[in-house]
Amino acid sequence: MNETPRTLYWLALSLVGLVIAIYILFPIFWLFLASFKTQAELAALPISFWPEAPTLDAYKALFSPTHQKGQLLDWPRLIGNSFFIAISSTILVVFFGTLAGYAFARLHFPGRDLILGGLLISRMFQGAALLLPTYRLMSMIGLQDSPIGLVLLYSAFGLPFATWIIASSLREIPRELEESAMMDGASRLQSMALVVLPLATPALITAAMWHFVGAWSEFAFASILLESNENKTVTIGLASFVELFTLEFQFVGAAATIVALPIMLVFFFGQRYFTRGLLAGAVKG
Amino acid sequence: MTMQNDRLLAYFMILPVVAAVLAFVIGPTYNVGTLSLTKIVMGQERGFGTFSNFTALTSDPVFWLVMKNTAIWILGGTLMCVLVGLGVGTFLAIDSRMTTGLRALILLPWVLPDVVTAMAWKWMLHGQVGIIGQTLESTGLTEETISFLGDPKLVMWTLVVVLIWRKMPLVALILCAAIRSVPDDQIEAARMDGATAFERFRFVVIPNIAFSLTAVTVISMIWITAEFALPWIMTGGGPANASQIMATYIYQQSFEFFNWGVASAMSVINLVMLASIVGLYLYINRRSWASEGSK
Repeated sequence: MNETPRTLYWLALSLVGLVIAIYILFPIFWLFLASFKTQAELAALPISFWPEAPTLDAYKALFSPTHQKGQLLDWPRLIGNSFFIAISSTILVVFFGTLAGYAFARLHFPGRDLILGGLLISRMFQGAALLLPTYRLMSMIGLQDSPIGLVLLYSAFGLPFATWIIASSLREIPRELEESAMMDGASRLQSMALVVLPLATPALITAAMWHFVGAWSEFAFASILLESNENKTVTIGLASFVELFTLEFQFVGAAATIVALPIMLVFFFGQRYFTRGLLAGAVKG
Repeated sequence: MTMQNDRLLAYFMILPVVAAVLAFVIGPTYNVGTLSLTKIVMGQERGFGTFSNFTALTSDPVFWLVMKNTAIWILGGTLMCVLVGLGVGTFLAIDSRMTTGLRALILLPWVLPDVVTAMAWKWMLHGQVGIIGQTLESTGLTEETISFLGDPKLVMWTLVVVLIWRKMPLVALILCAAIRSVPDDQIEAARMDGATAFERFRFVVIPNIAFSLTAVTVISMIWITAEFALPWIMTGGGPANASQIMATYIYQQSFEFFNWGVASAMSVINLVMLASIVGLYLYINRRSWASEGSK
Protein backbone atom coordinates (compact mmCIF):
# COMPACT_ATOMS: atom_id res chain seq x y z
CA MET A 1 0.00 0.00 0.00
CA ASN A 2 2.95 2.24 0.75
CA GLU A 3 4.57 1.35 -2.58
CA THR A 4 2.66 3.63 -4.95
CA PRO A 5 3.31 6.94 -3.13
CA ARG A 6 6.96 6.00 -2.79
CA THR A 7 7.29 5.30 -6.53
CA LEU A 8 5.48 8.54 -7.28
CA TYR A 9 7.78 10.43 -4.93
CA TRP A 10 10.81 8.88 -6.57
CA LEU A 11 9.49 9.74 -10.03
CA ALA A 12 8.80 13.36 -9.08
CA LEU A 13 12.24 13.67 -7.51
CA SER A 14 13.96 12.28 -10.62
CA LEU A 15 11.94 14.48 -12.91
CA VAL A 16 12.89 17.68 -11.05
CA GLY A 17 16.51 16.50 -10.92
CA LEU A 18 16.51 15.83 -14.64
CA VAL A 19 15.07 19.26 -15.42
CA ILE A 20 17.77 20.94 -13.30
CA ALA A 21 20.53 18.86 -14.92
CA ILE A 22 19.31 19.74 -18.43
CA TYR A 23 19.00 23.41 -17.46
CA ILE A 24 22.60 23.42 -16.21
CA LEU A 25 24.14 21.46 -19.06
CA PHE A 26 22.16 22.36 -22.15
CA PRO A 27 23.49 25.88 -22.94
CA ILE A 28 27.10 24.75 -22.94
CA PHE A 29 26.32 21.43 -24.65
CA TRP A 30 24.41 23.20 -27.44
CA LEU A 31 27.37 25.46 -28.24
CA PHE A 32 29.67 22.41 -28.11
CA LEU A 33 27.45 20.66 -30.70
CA ALA A 34 27.62 23.72 -32.96
CA SER A 35 31.40 23.35 -33.17
CA PHE A 36 30.94 20.11 -35.17
CA LYS A 37 28.32 21.43 -37.58
CA THR A 38 28.83 22.88 -41.06
CA GLN A 39 28.07 26.47 -41.96
CA ALA A 40 25.10 25.40 -44.13
CA GLU A 41 23.64 23.34 -41.30
CA LEU A 42 23.93 26.19 -38.77
CA ALA A 43 22.10 28.60 -41.07
CA ALA A 44 19.34 26.18 -42.05
CA LEU A 45 15.84 25.96 -40.62
CA PRO A 46 14.39 23.89 -39.05
CA ILE A 47 17.25 23.43 -36.61
CA SER A 48 18.97 20.04 -36.67
CA PHE A 49 19.83 18.78 -33.21
CA TRP A 50 22.77 16.42 -33.83
CA PRO A 51 25.41 17.40 -36.42
CA GLU A 52 24.38 15.75 -39.73
CA ALA A 53 27.97 15.35 -40.93
CA PRO A 54 30.22 15.96 -37.91
CA THR A 55 33.36 17.81 -38.90
CA LEU A 56 36.46 19.11 -37.13
CA ASP A 57 36.98 21.88 -39.69
CA ALA A 58 36.34 24.66 -37.15
CA TYR A 59 39.02 23.33 -34.80
CA LYS A 60 41.43 22.94 -37.72
CA ALA A 61 40.78 26.54 -38.74
CA LEU A 62 41.63 27.78 -35.24
CA PHE A 63 44.85 25.79 -35.03
CA SER A 64 46.26 26.40 -38.49
CA PRO A 65 46.95 30.01 -39.41
CA THR A 66 43.86 30.75 -41.52
CA HIS A 67 42.11 33.96 -42.37
CA GLN A 68 38.40 34.24 -41.66
CA LYS A 69 36.77 37.40 -42.96
CA GLY A 70 40.18 39.01 -43.28
CA GLN A 71 41.20 38.28 -39.70
CA LEU A 72 44.00 35.88 -38.85
CA LEU A 73 43.00 33.20 -36.36
CA ASP A 74 46.08 32.28 -34.34
CA TRP A 75 44.78 30.28 -31.43
CA PRO A 76 48.00 28.46 -30.45
CA ARG A 77 49.40 31.91 -29.70
CA LEU A 78 46.32 32.99 -27.68
CA ILE A 79 46.38 29.75 -25.70
CA GLY A 80 50.09 30.16 -24.99
CA ASN A 81 49.57 33.72 -23.75
CA SER A 82 46.68 32.73 -21.51
CA PHE A 83 48.66 29.87 -19.97
CA PHE A 84 51.67 32.11 -19.43
CA ILE A 85 49.64 34.80 -17.67
CA ALA A 86 47.50 32.43 -15.61
CA ILE A 87 50.35 30.16 -14.49
CA SER A 88 52.84 32.96 -13.72
CA SER A 89 50.35 34.86 -11.61
CA THR A 90 49.26 31.65 -9.86
CA ILE A 91 52.88 31.01 -8.84
CA LEU A 92 53.25 34.57 -7.54
CA VAL A 93 49.95 34.43 -5.67
CA VAL A 94 50.67 31.11 -3.97
CA PHE A 95 54.21 32.13 -3.01
CA PHE A 96 53.43 35.57 -1.58
CA GLY A 97 50.04 34.41 -0.29
CA THR A 98 51.78 31.71 1.74
CA LEU A 99 54.26 34.18 3.22
CA ALA A 100 51.53 36.60 4.22
CA GLY A 101 49.11 33.85 5.23
CA TYR A 102 51.71 32.49 7.65
CA ALA A 103 52.24 35.91 9.20
CA PHE A 104 48.50 36.48 9.64
CA ALA A 105 47.98 33.04 11.13
CA ARG A 106 51.00 32.67 13.37
CA LEU A 107 52.68 35.96 14.22
CA HIS A 108 51.45 38.78 16.43
CA PHE A 109 51.76 42.32 15.20
CA PRO A 110 49.80 45.53 15.66
CA GLY A 111 46.98 45.96 13.15
CA ARG A 112 46.93 42.30 12.12
CA ASP A 113 43.17 41.74 11.99
CA LEU A 114 42.51 45.19 10.60
CA ILE A 115 44.94 44.67 7.71
CA LEU A 116 43.54 41.22 6.88
CA GLY A 117 40.00 42.60 6.96
CA GLY A 118 41.00 45.51 4.75
CA LEU A 119 42.61 43.17 2.23
CA LEU A 120 39.45 41.08 2.05
CA ILE A 121 37.22 44.09 1.63
CA SER A 122 39.44 45.41 -1.17
CA ARG A 123 38.43 42.30 -3.16
CA MET A 124 34.86 43.53 -3.36
CA PHE A 125 35.89 46.71 -5.17
CA GLN A 126 37.60 45.06 -8.11
CA GLY A 127 35.17 45.89 -10.85
CA ALA A 128 34.34 48.19 -13.72
CA ALA A 129 35.08 51.28 -11.61
CA LEU A 130 38.79 50.40 -11.63
CA LEU A 131 39.07 49.96 -15.41
CA LEU A 132 39.93 53.55 -16.28
CA PRO A 133 42.44 54.27 -13.47
CA THR A 134 44.11 50.89 -14.07
CA TYR A 135 44.53 51.72 -17.73
CA ARG A 136 46.05 55.09 -16.79
CA LEU A 137 48.35 53.48 -14.21
CA MET A 138 49.58 50.84 -16.62
CA SER A 139 50.21 53.39 -19.37
CA MET A 140 52.14 55.51 -16.91
CA ILE A 141 54.46 52.71 -15.78
CA GLY A 142 54.82 51.37 -19.32
CA LEU A 143 53.13 48.02 -18.68
CA GLN A 144 50.14 48.60 -20.91
CA ASP A 145 49.92 46.00 -23.71
CA SER A 146 52.26 43.75 -21.76
CA PRO A 147 51.59 40.25 -20.40
CA ILE A 148 53.80 41.14 -17.42
CA GLY A 149 51.42 43.98 -16.54
CA LEU A 150 48.50 41.57 -16.45
CA VAL A 151 50.48 39.06 -14.37
CA LEU A 152 51.08 41.78 -11.76
CA LEU A 153 47.49 43.03 -11.88
CA TYR A 154 45.93 39.56 -11.55
CA SER A 155 48.33 38.74 -8.72
CA ALA A 156 47.29 41.88 -6.85
CA PHE A 157 43.63 41.02 -7.39
CA GLY A 158 44.08 37.40 -6.33
CA LEU A 159 46.43 37.77 -3.35
CA PRO A 160 43.93 38.82 -0.64
CA PHE A 161 41.75 35.75 -1.10
CA ALA A 162 44.73 33.38 -1.39
CA THR A 163 46.27 34.90 1.73
CA TRP A 164 43.03 34.52 3.63
CA ILE A 165 42.38 30.91 2.60
CA ILE A 166 45.97 29.91 3.43
CA ALA A 167 45.88 31.78 6.76
CA SER A 168 42.62 30.07 7.77
CA SER A 169 44.05 26.65 7.07
CA LEU A 170 47.34 27.39 8.87
CA ARG A 171 45.34 28.31 11.98
CA GLU A 172 44.03 24.74 12.09
CA ILE A 173 47.54 23.28 12.30
CA PRO A 174 48.64 22.76 15.95
CA ARG A 175 51.28 25.22 17.07
CA GLU A 176 53.00 22.49 19.09
CA LEU A 177 54.35 20.83 15.95
CA GLU A 178 56.17 23.99 15.03
CA GLU A 179 57.28 24.82 18.54
CA SER A 180 58.91 21.43 18.94
CA ALA A 181 60.76 21.87 15.65
CA MET A 182 62.02 25.26 16.83
CA MET A 183 62.99 23.71 20.17
CA ASP A 184 65.14 21.27 18.18
CA GLY A 185 66.97 24.21 16.68
CA ALA A 186 65.02 24.94 13.48
CA SER A 187 64.61 28.62 12.64
CA ARG A 188 61.13 30.02 12.14
CA LEU A 189 61.47 29.94 8.38
CA GLN A 190 62.80 26.39 8.44
CA SER A 191 59.97 25.17 10.61
CA MET A 192 57.52 26.95 8.35
CA ALA A 193 58.88 25.40 5.18
CA LEU A 194 59.54 21.90 6.51
CA VAL A 195 56.85 21.33 9.13
CA VAL A 196 53.88 23.61 8.49
CA LEU A 197 53.65 23.94 4.71
CA PRO A 198 53.49 20.20 3.93
CA LEU A 199 50.42 20.05 6.18
CA ALA A 200 48.87 23.04 4.44
CA THR A 201 49.18 21.56 0.93
CA PRO A 202 45.40 21.20 0.42
CA ALA A 203 44.92 24.92 1.10
CA LEU A 204 47.75 25.79 -1.28
CA ILE A 205 46.13 23.66 -3.99
CA THR A 206 42.76 25.32 -3.36
CA ALA A 207 44.31 28.78 -3.60
CA ALA A 208 46.22 27.86 -6.77
CA MET A 209 43.18 26.36 -8.50
CA TRP A 210 41.01 29.31 -7.64
CA HIS A 211 43.50 31.79 -8.89
CA PHE A 212 44.21 29.89 -12.09
CA VAL A 213 40.51 29.72 -12.95
CA GLY A 214 40.03 33.44 -12.30
CA ALA A 215 43.12 34.52 -14.23
CA TRP A 216 42.36 32.25 -17.21
CA SER A 217 38.78 33.56 -17.41
CA GLU A 218 39.42 37.26 -16.89
CA PHE A 219 38.21 39.46 -19.73
CA ALA A 220 37.61 43.12 -18.81
CA PHE A 221 41.12 44.18 -17.78
CA ALA A 222 42.80 42.06 -20.46
CA SER A 223 40.64 43.68 -23.12
CA ILE A 224 41.52 47.26 -22.14
CA LEU A 225 45.23 46.59 -21.63
CA LEU A 226 46.28 44.22 -24.40
CA GLU A 227 46.29 45.83 -27.81
CA SER A 228 48.67 44.01 -30.13
CA ASN A 229 47.56 40.69 -31.58
CA GLU A 230 50.58 38.80 -30.35
CA ASN A 231 49.75 39.60 -26.71
CA LYS A 232 46.05 38.75 -26.67
CA THR A 233 44.48 36.03 -24.55
CA VAL A 234 41.83 33.39 -25.29
CA THR A 235 38.99 35.35 -23.69
CA ILE A 236 39.72 38.36 -25.91
CA GLY A 237 39.98 36.07 -28.93
CA LEU A 238 36.61 34.52 -28.18
CA ALA A 239 34.96 37.88 -27.45
CA SER A 240 36.24 39.30 -30.75
CA PHE A 241 34.11 36.68 -32.54
CA VAL A 242 31.01 38.68 -31.58
CA GLU A 243 31.82 41.20 -34.27
CA LEU A 244 33.62 38.83 -36.62
CA PHE A 245 30.95 36.14 -36.86
CA THR A 246 27.18 36.51 -36.79
CA LEU A 247 26.19 33.09 -38.07
CA GLU A 248 29.49 31.16 -38.11
CA PHE A 249 28.96 29.64 -34.69
CA GLN A 250 31.07 26.58 -35.52
CA PHE A 251 34.13 28.76 -34.85
CA VAL A 252 32.55 30.28 -31.76
CA GLY A 253 31.70 26.79 -30.48
CA ALA A 254 35.18 25.44 -31.13
CA ALA A 255 36.84 28.45 -29.49
CA ALA A 256 34.47 28.35 -26.50
CA THR A 257 35.26 24.66 -26.04
CA ILE A 258 38.98 25.47 -25.99
CA VAL A 259 38.47 28.29 -23.47
CA ALA A 260 36.26 26.14 -21.24
CA LEU A 261 38.39 22.97 -21.37
CA PRO A 262 41.17 23.81 -18.83
CA ILE A 263 38.53 25.16 -16.43
CA MET A 264 36.40 22.02 -16.76
CA LEU A 265 39.46 19.81 -16.14
CA VAL A 266 40.36 21.76 -13.00
CA PHE A 267 36.72 21.64 -11.92
CA PHE A 268 36.21 17.91 -12.38
CA PHE A 269 39.58 16.68 -11.12
CA GLY A 270 39.88 19.12 -8.26
CA GLN A 271 36.24 19.14 -7.16
CA ARG A 272 37.15 18.50 -3.53
CA TYR A 273 39.50 21.48 -3.29
CA PHE A 274 37.32 23.63 -5.42
CA THR A 275 34.14 23.32 -3.38
CA ARG A 276 36.09 23.96 -0.22
CA GLY A 277 37.37 27.25 -1.60
CA LEU A 278 34.01 28.16 -3.03
CA LEU A 279 32.12 27.82 0.22
CA ALA A 280 34.89 29.57 2.13
CA GLY A 281 35.04 32.33 -0.46
CA ALA A 282 31.29 32.77 -0.41
CA VAL A 283 31.24 33.46 3.30
CA LYS A 284 33.82 36.20 2.92
CA GLY A 285 32.54 37.58 -0.36
CA MET B 1 63.88 40.34 21.45
CA THR B 2 62.19 37.44 19.64
CA MET B 3 58.87 39.27 19.88
CA GLN B 4 60.39 42.22 18.09
CA ASN B 5 62.01 39.95 15.51
CA ASP B 6 58.69 38.25 14.91
CA ARG B 7 57.04 41.58 14.40
CA LEU B 8 59.61 42.67 11.83
CA LEU B 9 59.41 39.30 10.10
CA ALA B 10 55.62 39.59 9.97
CA TYR B 11 55.67 43.02 8.33
CA PHE B 12 58.26 41.75 5.88
CA MET B 13 56.08 38.75 5.01
CA ILE B 14 52.90 40.72 4.42
CA LEU B 15 54.66 43.54 2.57
CA PRO B 16 54.25 42.15 -0.98
CA VAL B 17 50.51 41.57 -0.54
CA VAL B 18 49.87 44.95 1.04
CA ALA B 19 52.01 46.74 -1.56
CA ALA B 20 50.24 44.98 -4.43
CA VAL B 21 46.79 45.89 -3.12
CA LEU B 22 47.87 49.48 -2.45
CA ALA B 23 49.31 49.83 -5.95
CA PHE B 24 46.60 48.12 -7.97
CA VAL B 25 43.39 48.55 -5.94
CA ILE B 26 43.63 51.38 -3.41
CA GLY B 27 45.77 53.63 -5.63
CA PRO B 28 43.49 53.37 -8.68
CA THR B 29 40.42 53.89 -6.45
CA TYR B 30 41.92 57.15 -5.19
CA ASN B 31 43.02 58.08 -8.69
CA VAL B 32 39.56 57.71 -10.20
CA GLY B 33 38.20 59.83 -7.35
CA THR B 34 40.52 62.74 -8.09
CA LEU B 35 40.02 62.32 -11.84
CA SER B 36 36.26 62.68 -11.38
CA LEU B 37 36.86 66.09 -9.78
CA THR B 38 39.22 67.24 -12.52
CA LYS B 39 38.17 69.17 -15.56
CA ILE B 40 39.25 67.24 -18.64
CA VAL B 41 39.31 68.74 -22.11
CA MET B 42 40.35 66.55 -25.03
CA GLY B 43 42.21 64.13 -22.78
CA GLN B 44 44.12 66.98 -21.08
CA GLU B 45 43.65 67.66 -17.39
CA ARG B 46 42.63 71.30 -16.91
CA GLY B 47 42.34 72.04 -13.22
CA PHE B 48 41.19 70.21 -10.11
CA GLY B 49 38.13 70.96 -8.00
CA THR B 50 35.05 70.91 -10.18
CA PHE B 51 31.79 69.00 -10.24
CA SER B 52 31.40 69.54 -13.97
CA ASN B 53 31.96 65.84 -14.70
CA PHE B 54 29.05 64.91 -12.47
CA THR B 55 26.75 67.53 -13.94
CA ALA B 56 27.78 66.42 -17.44
CA LEU B 57 27.00 62.84 -16.44
CA THR B 58 23.58 63.50 -14.95
CA SER B 59 22.55 65.75 -17.82
CA ASP B 60 23.28 62.93 -20.28
CA PRO B 61 19.78 61.60 -21.11
CA VAL B 62 21.25 58.09 -21.15
CA PHE B 63 22.23 58.43 -17.46
CA TRP B 64 18.76 57.81 -16.05
CA LEU B 65 18.21 54.92 -18.45
CA VAL B 66 21.49 53.42 -17.22
CA MET B 67 20.39 53.85 -13.60
CA LYS B 68 17.05 52.19 -14.32
CA ASN B 69 18.74 49.30 -16.15
CA THR B 70 21.27 48.91 -13.36
CA ALA B 71 18.42 48.72 -10.83
CA ILE B 72 16.77 45.95 -12.86
CA TRP B 73 20.12 44.21 -13.22
CA ILE B 74 21.13 44.34 -9.55
CA LEU B 75 17.81 44.28 -7.68
CA GLY B 76 15.91 42.10 -10.17
CA GLY B 77 18.91 39.81 -10.61
CA THR B 78 19.50 39.45 -6.87
CA LEU B 79 15.86 38.79 -6.08
CA MET B 80 15.53 36.17 -8.82
CA CYS B 81 18.84 34.49 -7.95
CA VAL B 82 17.84 34.18 -4.31
CA LEU B 83 14.29 32.96 -5.04
CA VAL B 84 15.37 30.40 -7.65
CA GLY B 85 18.40 29.51 -5.52
CA LEU B 86 16.16 28.90 -2.49
CA GLY B 87 13.94 26.60 -4.55
CA VAL B 88 16.83 24.66 -6.07
CA GLY B 89 18.72 24.61 -2.75
CA THR B 90 15.69 23.16 -0.95
CA PHE B 91 15.49 20.45 -3.58
CA LEU B 92 19.22 19.71 -3.38
CA ALA B 93 18.96 19.37 0.40
CA ILE B 94 16.89 16.19 -0.01
CA ASP B 95 18.94 13.07 0.79
CA SER B 96 19.38 11.04 -2.37
CA ARG B 97 22.19 9.83 -4.57
CA MET B 98 20.89 11.97 -7.40
CA THR B 99 20.94 15.23 -5.42
CA THR B 100 24.50 14.46 -4.29
CA GLY B 101 25.54 14.22 -7.93
CA LEU B 102 23.63 17.38 -8.81
CA ARG B 103 25.28 19.31 -6.00
CA ALA B 104 28.63 18.74 -7.75
CA LEU B 105 27.34 19.37 -11.26
CA ILE B 106 25.42 22.54 -10.46
CA LEU B 107 28.59 24.58 -9.95
CA LEU B 108 29.53 24.26 -13.62
CA PRO B 109 27.88 27.56 -14.70
CA TRP B 110 29.65 29.28 -11.83
CA VAL B 111 33.15 28.21 -12.86
CA LEU B 112 32.84 28.61 -16.63
CA PRO B 113 34.44 31.82 -17.97
CA ASP B 114 31.74 34.46 -18.42
CA VAL B 115 32.84 34.97 -22.02
CA VAL B 116 31.91 31.33 -22.71
CA THR B 117 28.57 31.73 -20.92
CA ALA B 118 27.81 34.87 -22.93
CA MET B 119 28.54 33.08 -26.21
CA ALA B 120 26.51 29.99 -25.28
CA TRP B 121 23.42 32.08 -24.49
CA LYS B 122 23.95 34.38 -27.45
CA TRP B 123 23.78 31.29 -29.64
CA MET B 124 20.61 29.97 -27.98
CA LEU B 125 18.99 33.42 -28.20
CA HIS B 126 20.12 34.10 -31.78
CA GLY B 127 17.54 36.25 -33.56
CA GLN B 128 17.23 34.03 -36.65
CA VAL B 129 18.39 30.52 -35.84
CA GLY B 130 18.43 30.54 -32.01
CA ILE B 131 16.97 27.37 -30.55
CA ILE B 132 14.84 29.20 -27.97
CA GLY B 133 13.12 31.54 -30.42
CA GLN B 134 12.70 28.76 -32.99
CA THR B 135 11.23 26.32 -30.45
CA LEU B 136 8.75 28.91 -29.20
CA GLU B 137 7.66 29.61 -32.75
CA SER B 138 7.44 26.01 -33.99
CA THR B 139 5.39 24.94 -30.96
CA GLY B 140 3.01 27.80 -31.68
CA LEU B 141 3.64 29.69 -28.46
CA THR B 142 4.70 32.79 -30.38
CA GLU B 143 3.62 33.87 -33.83
CA GLU B 144 7.04 34.91 -35.04
CA THR B 145 10.61 34.37 -33.91
CA ILE B 146 11.35 36.67 -30.99
CA SER B 147 14.68 38.46 -31.02
CA PHE B 148 15.31 38.45 -27.28
CA LEU B 149 18.52 40.47 -27.47
CA GLY B 150 17.29 42.79 -30.23
CA ASP B 151 14.06 43.95 -28.59
CA PRO B 152 14.60 46.97 -26.28
CA LYS B 153 11.66 45.89 -24.12
CA LEU B 154 12.96 42.36 -23.58
CA VAL B 155 16.72 42.68 -23.58
CA MET B 156 17.27 43.70 -19.95
CA TRP B 157 15.13 40.89 -18.56
CA THR B 158 16.72 38.43 -20.95
CA LEU B 159 20.11 39.37 -19.49
CA VAL B 160 18.71 38.81 -16.00
CA VAL B 161 17.64 35.29 -17.01
CA VAL B 162 21.18 34.52 -18.18
CA LEU B 163 22.52 36.05 -14.97
CA ILE B 164 20.35 33.65 -12.95
CA TRP B 165 21.87 30.70 -14.80
CA ARG B 166 25.35 31.93 -13.96
CA LYS B 167 24.95 33.12 -10.35
CA MET B 168 22.10 31.04 -8.90
CA PRO B 169 24.10 27.78 -8.45
CA LEU B 170 26.27 29.07 -5.63
CA VAL B 171 23.28 30.68 -3.90
CA ALA B 172 21.52 27.30 -4.13
CA LEU B 173 24.54 25.47 -2.75
CA ILE B 174 25.02 27.81 0.21
CA LEU B 175 21.31 27.66 1.08
CA CYS B 176 21.36 23.88 0.61
CA ALA B 177 24.19 23.62 3.16
CA ALA B 178 22.25 25.87 5.54
CA ILE B 179 19.04 23.83 5.17
CA ARG B 180 20.91 20.57 5.74
CA SER B 181 22.26 21.91 9.02
CA VAL B 182 18.77 22.62 10.41
CA PRO B 183 18.42 20.26 13.42
CA ASP B 184 16.33 17.20 12.52
CA ASP B 185 14.58 17.11 15.89
CA GLN B 186 13.06 20.56 15.32
CA ILE B 187 11.53 19.42 12.03
CA GLU B 188 10.43 16.15 13.62
CA ALA B 189 8.80 18.02 16.52
CA ALA B 190 6.90 20.25 14.08
CA ARG B 191 5.76 17.15 12.19
CA MET B 192 4.48 15.59 15.44
CA ASP B 193 2.54 18.77 16.12
CA GLY B 194 0.82 18.29 12.77
CA ALA B 195 2.62 20.96 10.71
CA THR B 196 2.29 20.49 6.95
CA ALA B 197 5.35 20.37 4.72
CA PHE B 198 4.89 24.05 3.85
CA GLU B 199 4.45 25.04 7.48
CA ARG B 200 7.60 23.13 8.44
CA PHE B 201 9.48 24.97 5.72
CA ARG B 202 8.06 28.38 6.57
CA PHE B 203 8.20 28.22 10.37
CA VAL B 204 11.15 25.87 11.06
CA VAL B 205 13.53 25.92 8.08
CA ILE B 206 13.30 29.61 7.12
CA PRO B 207 13.97 31.00 10.65
CA ASN B 208 16.93 28.64 10.94
CA ILE B 209 18.50 29.76 7.67
CA ALA B 210 17.58 33.44 8.01
CA PHE B 211 21.18 34.50 8.54
CA SER B 212 22.49 32.62 5.48
CA LEU B 213 19.60 33.94 3.44
CA THR B 214 20.36 37.59 4.30
CA ALA B 215 24.11 37.18 3.85
CA VAL B 216 23.74 35.44 0.50
CA THR B 217 21.34 38.15 -0.70
CA VAL B 218 23.83 40.94 0.01
CA ILE B 219 26.73 38.92 -1.42
CA SER B 220 24.75 38.30 -4.61
CA MET B 221 24.34 42.05 -4.97
CA ILE B 222 28.12 42.48 -4.79
CA TRP B 223 28.71 39.69 -7.34
CA ILE B 224 26.11 41.05 -9.73
CA THR B 225 27.44 44.62 -9.46
CA ALA B 226 30.88 43.28 -10.42
CA GLU B 227 29.62 41.31 -13.44
CA PHE B 228 30.70 43.04 -16.63
CA ALA B 229 31.70 40.61 -19.39
CA LEU B 230 28.32 38.89 -19.59
CA PRO B 231 26.20 41.93 -20.56
CA TRP B 232 29.02 43.56 -22.51
CA ILE B 233 29.58 40.57 -24.80
CA MET B 234 25.92 39.66 -25.16
CA THR B 235 24.61 43.11 -26.09
CA GLY B 236 27.36 45.75 -25.78
CA GLY B 237 24.72 47.86 -24.01
CA GLY B 238 22.39 47.84 -26.99
CA PRO B 239 20.10 48.03 -28.77
CA ALA B 240 20.16 51.84 -28.42
CA ASN B 241 21.36 51.71 -24.77
CA ALA B 242 18.38 49.53 -23.82
CA SER B 243 20.71 47.24 -21.85
CA GLN B 244 23.34 49.79 -20.89
CA ILE B 245 24.25 49.33 -17.21
CA MET B 246 26.84 51.14 -15.06
CA ALA B 247 29.66 48.72 -15.87
CA THR B 248 29.13 48.76 -19.63
CA TYR B 249 28.61 52.53 -19.61
CA ILE B 250 31.93 53.07 -17.81
CA TYR B 251 33.71 50.81 -20.30
CA GLN B 252 32.14 52.45 -23.33
CA GLN B 253 32.71 56.02 -22.15
CA SER B 254 36.33 55.23 -21.18
CA PHE B 255 37.55 53.20 -24.11
CA GLU B 256 35.23 53.86 -27.04
CA PHE B 257 34.23 57.50 -26.60
CA PHE B 258 37.24 58.58 -24.45
CA ASN B 259 34.97 60.68 -22.22
CA TRP B 260 37.20 60.20 -19.20
CA GLY B 261 35.46 62.87 -17.13
CA VAL B 262 32.04 61.30 -17.42
CA ALA B 263 33.49 57.80 -17.08
CA SER B 264 35.31 58.65 -13.85
CA ALA B 265 32.20 60.33 -12.41
CA MET B 266 30.20 57.17 -13.11
CA SER B 267 33.01 55.06 -11.61
CA VAL B 268 32.79 57.06 -8.40
CA ILE B 269 29.01 56.58 -8.23
CA ASN B 270 29.62 52.88 -8.80
CA LEU B 271 32.20 52.76 -5.98
CA VAL B 272 29.91 54.61 -3.56
CA MET B 273 27.13 52.16 -4.35
CA LEU B 274 29.48 49.20 -3.83
CA ALA B 275 30.72 50.70 -0.57
CA SER B 276 27.19 50.94 0.77
CA ILE B 277 26.46 47.31 -0.15
CA VAL B 278 29.77 46.22 1.42
CA GLY B 279 28.92 48.28 4.52
CA LEU B 280 25.56 46.52 4.72
CA TYR B 281 27.35 43.20 4.39
CA LEU B 282 29.83 44.01 7.17
CA TYR B 283 26.95 45.13 9.40
CA ILE B 284 25.05 41.88 8.84
CA ASN B 285 28.20 39.82 9.31
CA ARG B 286 29.47 41.73 12.35
CA ARG B 287 29.20 38.67 14.59
CA SER B 288 31.40 36.52 12.39
CA TRP B 289 33.95 39.32 11.93
CA ALA B 290 34.18 39.71 15.69
CA SER B 291 34.82 35.99 16.15
CA GLU B 292 37.42 36.11 13.39
CA GLY B 293 39.33 38.75 15.29
CA SER B 294 39.33 36.89 18.58
CA LYS B 295 41.04 33.82 17.09
